[in-house]
Amino acid sequence: MKEISIEFIINGQKKKLSVKPNDLLINVIRDDLFLTGDKYGCGIGECGACTVLLNGEPILSCLTLAATVDGKEITTIEGLAEGDRLHPMQKAFLENGAVQCGFCTPGMILTATALLKENPNPTEDEIKDYMRGNICRCTGYVQIIKAIEECATKSKYDK
Amino acid sequence: MNQFKYVSPKTKDEALRILKEEKTNACIVAGCSNVLPNIRDKILNSKLLVDITNIEELKGINQEKDKICIGPLTTITGLINSEFILKEGKVLIQAAEQFADPLVRNTATIGGNLADASPAADSAAPLLALDAVIKLESAGQQRDIQLKDFFLGPEKTILREDEMITGIEFESSNISKNGCFIKLGLRKAMAIAVASIAVNLDVRENKIAQVRIAMGSVAPMPIRLTATEEFLKNKEINNGLIEEAINKVREEVNPISDIRASEEYRRYISGILFKRAFKKLTLGS
Repeated sequence: MKEISIEFIINGQKKKLSVKPNDLLINVIRDDLFLTGDKYGCGIGECGACTVLLNGEPILSCLTLAATVDGKEITTIEGLAEGDRLHPMQKAFLENGAVQCGFCTPGMILTATALLKENPNPTEDEIKDYMRGNICRCTGYVQIIKAIEECATKSKYDK
Repeated sequence: MNQFKYVSPKTKDEALRILKEEKTNACIVAGCSNVLPNIRDKILNSKLLVDITNIEELKGINQEKDKICIGPLTTITGLINSEFILKEGKVLIQAAEQFADPLVRNTATIGGNLADASPAADSAAPLLALDAVIKLESAGQQRDIQLKDFFLGPEKTILREDEMITGIEFESSNISKNGCFIKLGLRKAMAIAVASIAVNLDVRENKIAQVRIAMGSVAPMPIRLTATEEFLKNKEINNGLIEEAINKVREEVNPISDIRASEEYRRYISGILFKRAFKKLTLGS
């Protein structure tokens, strides 16, 4: 199969790779770049565990062909913290007990950061509606919503 | 996963040339939110994916005189954020807000939703209620088709093997601005509609000057309930009329039983959805 050359920025770093036409973005991120925070859940775009930010927008990496990210910017969960300093959303999740097994967490946090960028003061209903593509089997969502609300009101969100 | 080749043309003409050469070997793709699951399930076995997301002329929402023109690459999120659509055809926004979830909406396109032609397609009923026209092009040829003639059956459209969707248009008018969309699903998000309805209405002095009723998931393709529309035209609005219209709706739909609902339930609920949509539109008048 013909290899396609792609160049993109991931978590602030420039990368150049050769991918097959049927390579999925999630597999390139996990297997070629060893960024395993991008989780493989359902593989058909219904659980949100594979959420990453593409040019700032949350998308499903299991439904994205790697070839299509040429020239774009990707942020994975690994790209949120600055060294040892956690991102305010990560802190809020930890402080509010919003992480149990942690499998949904990277996707949840990334989608939530995108939400607050678009709508810095969401109501509870707006949070629930925006987050509806990210499923959690452990927490029952209450703490996740609380964490997002806290991050919206407390932290200086200036990104 | 099946192997395939991938190309990403930069212009519409290039894409159409590829379609002309490759015909059924090629599949136009954009967001891939439906295409990839179909490839993995071996429902789609194309040898060449033609990614059109870099073709600028297929993007954007414009107004030309009375016509609102939607580029097929407009994402569902793009629809929701469009001031034009909010003002001129809010029934489409109501549907977009219930489409899948925000993650899918960021890449799924209106062109893809129509080309996939599921009878449950969320953008179909509102566009039918807006009396939309769909623009199809092949190398050297263009044709405009009424959307109600575009769908032929489940996942079947009149698209020829060398054609692609290059635009969706509807006319701005009183009736286009006054619409209501209701989707009934087994859950609030990521739901394939059990039944959906879009009603656009123009009322003058308590009489129905014009009404358009479109439904999804109650027939082999998204449909306009033209017999019910004809029945309602020029009639005075009262409870008796609504009850009669509900019966007409139930006679006109042609649902099946499947894993999501029975035929009887779909037929019954079609009438209820019509009543709810109609009442929402006439509240206060």
